[in-house]
Amino acid sequence: MPGKDLMHPCVDCKDAESLFTVRKRQLCRDCFIHFVGSKVNRHMSKYPRPQNLEDPCPQLLLPLSFGVSSSSLLRQLDADIQRQLNKPRPRKSYDLHILVVDPLSAAYDQSYEAVQKAFPMHTYSRVPFHSVFDYVPEMQDLMWEYAGPQFADDPSRPDQDRLAAFRAAITTATSQADVDSVLLTRLVVGFAQKAGCEAVLWGDSDSRLAAKTLAEVAKGRGAALTWRASDGMSPWGLRFEYPLRDWSKVELQQYKQACPELADIVVPDNPPSDNVLTKNLSIDELMMRYVLTQGEKYPGVMANVSRTANKLQASSSDDTPSCGLCGNIIGNVKGNSGLTASSQSGERQDTQFCYGCMRSRPDSIS
Amino acid sequence: MAPSTCFHCHQARAIIIRPKNRHKLCRACFLQIFEAEVHETITGARLFYPGERVAIGASGGKDSTVLAAVLKTLNERYNYGLDLCLLSIDEGIRGYRDDSLETVKRNAVQYDMPLEIVGYGELYGWTMDQVVEQIGKKGNCTYCGVFRRQALDRGAARLAIKHVVTGHNADDVAETVMMNMLRGDVPRLSRGTNIVTDSDASEIKRSKPLKYAYEKEIVLYAHHRQLDYFSTECIYSPEAFRGSARTLIKDLEKIRPSSILDIVKSGEDMAALVPQERSQGGKSRQAAAAAEDESAGGCGSQNGRSSGGEMAAMEKQLAANDAAESRETEIGHPTKSFRPTGKQVKVQTMGYCEKCGYISSNRICKACSLLEGLNRNRPKTAIEVSVGIEDEESSTTLRRQMERTHLTNS
Amino acid sequence: MAQSAPEDGEISIAVEFTGGLELLFSNERKHNVTLPANLDDGARPDIAYLLRYLVDNIMQDQRKEMFIMEDNVRPGILVLINDADWELEGEEKYELQQGDNIVFVSTLHGG
Repeated sequence: MPGKDLMHPCVDCKDAESLFTVRKRQLCRDCFIHFVGSKVNRHMSKYPRPQNLEDPCPQLLLPLSFGVSSSSLLRQLDADIQRQLNKPRPRKSYDLHILVVDPLSAAYDQSYEAVQKAFPMHTYSRVPFHSVFDYVPEMQDLMWEYAGPQFADDPSRPDQDRLAAFRAAITTATSQADVDSVLLTRLVVGFAQKAGCEAVLWGDSDSRLAAKTLAEVAKGRGAALTWRASDGMSPWGLRFEYPLRDWSKVELQQYKQACPELADIVVPDNPPSDNVLTKNLSIDELMMRYVLTQGEKYPGVMANVSRTANKLQASSSDDTPSCGLCGNIIGNVKGNSGLTASSQSGERQDTQFCYGCMRSRPDSIS
Repeated sequence: MAPSTCFHCHQARAIIIRPKNRHKLCRACFLQIFEAEVHETITGARLFYPGERVAIGASGGKDSTVLAAVLKTLNERYNYGLDLCLLSIDEGIRGYRDDSLETVKRNAVQYDMPLEIVGYGELYGWTMDQVVEQIGKKGNCTYCGVFRRQALDRGAARLAIKHVVTGHNADDVAETVMMNMLRGDVPRLSRGTNIVTDSDASEIKRSKPLKYAYEKEIVLYAHHRQLDYFSTECIYSPEAFRGSARTLIKDLEKIRPSSILDIVKSGEDMAALVPQERSQGGKSRQAAAAAEDESAGGCGSQNGRSSGGEMAAMEKQLAANDAAESRETEIGHPTKSFRPTGKQVKVQTMGYCEKCGYISSNRICKACSLLEGLNRNRPKTAIEVSVGIEDEESSTTLRRQMERTHLTNS
Repeated sequence: MAQSAPEDGEISIAVEFTGGLELLFSNERKHNVTLPANLDDGARPDIAYLLRYLVDNIMQDQRKEMFIMEDNVRPGILVLINDADWELEGEEKYELQQGDNIVFVSTLHGG
């Protein structure tokens, strides 16, 4: 409706007061949500809408941490599916299965209730972190070899205690964060396989992907970036996808503000404490801190990091053994004649672990 | 804390804890193992052949001084049969390079190696002092880096030597990997970790025998062998060592000391995962490009370290791209087509500079392009592909200087 | 390594800056530093104390962050305690002894 008297009209619809400044553009609420949604929907459009109503559509697993990013992804995918169902020939191009993993120390009761109420169309499941013993059958072997002889596992104890004991046997912040993230991935993959899902939709923001990329590079797992931070086939035969890769953490926080239905769902982050000394951070935390602080000054450069990772192409050779724990390849990528792995790392020949996991093992440090 | 004994000899007092594996070593075992590992790198990568003439790019700084000392030691210990000499670049910075060149001259005596010094003044007609006088301190590092690269090749050619070794260490390689991740520069990512960059085009092979050596160990090696090296900041780039990637790497080292080599390992793997473009093939092209990158963007005495300014420039460029993109993709419009999984990488092709004949990915090489600007009496920091190609007002300085170089050679 | 403090309640140590770090300390490589053998709280001076002392008393350059970060030595600067990597000696918690030789080496400077 031209002629409306607006102080700062939205640059897109020019019909409403702008409320958000996104990438130097002033947008109203609807156009902002649309802007975010358009990039997510574009990602999802690789799943074609079925010809017939009865045709089965792919099951996709969305791990939900109740953080800003994965909650925003759910909100957006829910809207995408609604949109599909509102068309003249309503049919979904994919089904969502939402998985909540309760960490060892907390439970997400309220958010879990709220999210099911807000987005009731989807299937929901909730498992504790220690159910990794159920979904990763070789967990005991992995723990024993990883933690070494000084770790005393008692298989008669409850899984929760065994997992806690294993984590306690890992001394550095970096290795602990690394094992947590690897085990969480394994749990999600194990669950997705049992639930018949063909892909996992990770809610990582671009900032998170950048931090993850830099952290994996720093931990010697550059080879795993083709699925750890890019859209690609994981070693377990499930695709990993990152539909929020175009949006930074800051932008998704704005998105959350624009979507009041997320208010009861998102569990606020523990504010990153600035007074932790750098040397006491984990590598993952250091990189997140780096990406967030540098992102204030150089948002474009930080956004570039995950784009770089996304340009790498998975190695074509299938015969390379992969790490029993994290799934990364063991040894060098085909075509890499570098000497780091062979002579410089002291890597054992008989191990089922990759270079990165060998570096993280407790007895590699003393 | 009780003094620790050496992990290797179990006798002497340990004086170093190794970043790579946390082994505690005494002075003698450390020096010996450090040298043995450089030897392993040299033999593992088959860097040299018996009788080869090799020029050590020497700045007088810690890395090249250690490189010279270790190569001399290994050459004698393992009978490599190398004919070693020192090759220094004189950028023409009074009060900075003068002192470090004095160090190199002492090194030449200490290691009994011939020394060749190549000056920017004689090569380009411009010393760095003159460049700075003309363009100011901002952006001068670009000139210095671009000029240095060719200067080393020219110097080697003058000595009729086909192999230049440089003091790049694991920290430098790790920093390059991180910088290329930040730059989003996939082609460079595919070559930045190579230990050897050679090309049929320039006839000069370059290698980094200290590629797997931690900077910390290089400094301690120099300290414990009491090597004579010179260290300072370049007077024209006081901000150089606040480089973003550098700081990140030093922070990482504090958290997990091994991580520098871990980044190198990642970099080597990622290089093998860069999609091979059909038109990109050919060893010489890639290598030439790698050689071109090596010292671009920063001070060679700092081995091409990144500066804060580089990040800012990168951000500006990316912001411009981004703005262009969001203008392109009309926001109100739904998806047209989802790009399939194929991953595309921009292609770089290599040819020769039309002015000086040096290998270049553009029609005019960076050095000539910069010289052209200087000679036209105005600063020029951004080098763009098509700039200045059409006008035929040519900078002949470089060609003339090079012709002279060839003449003196023959 | 319990070494009793000299009678006058002071210890003197030698401090050396190299690798380009001397530029931050009036371009002097070697400094002799005398510290109280016992601090007000009864503790012995350690490297952390020495760092504060150097910044407050010896360092003329205003760019303190080139030497100190997060109240410790800036990452990239090596510390040698009597020629041994300070990581072998307890880092900033090492208690200084009469006659100690402390070397700070920058790995950050070029040449």
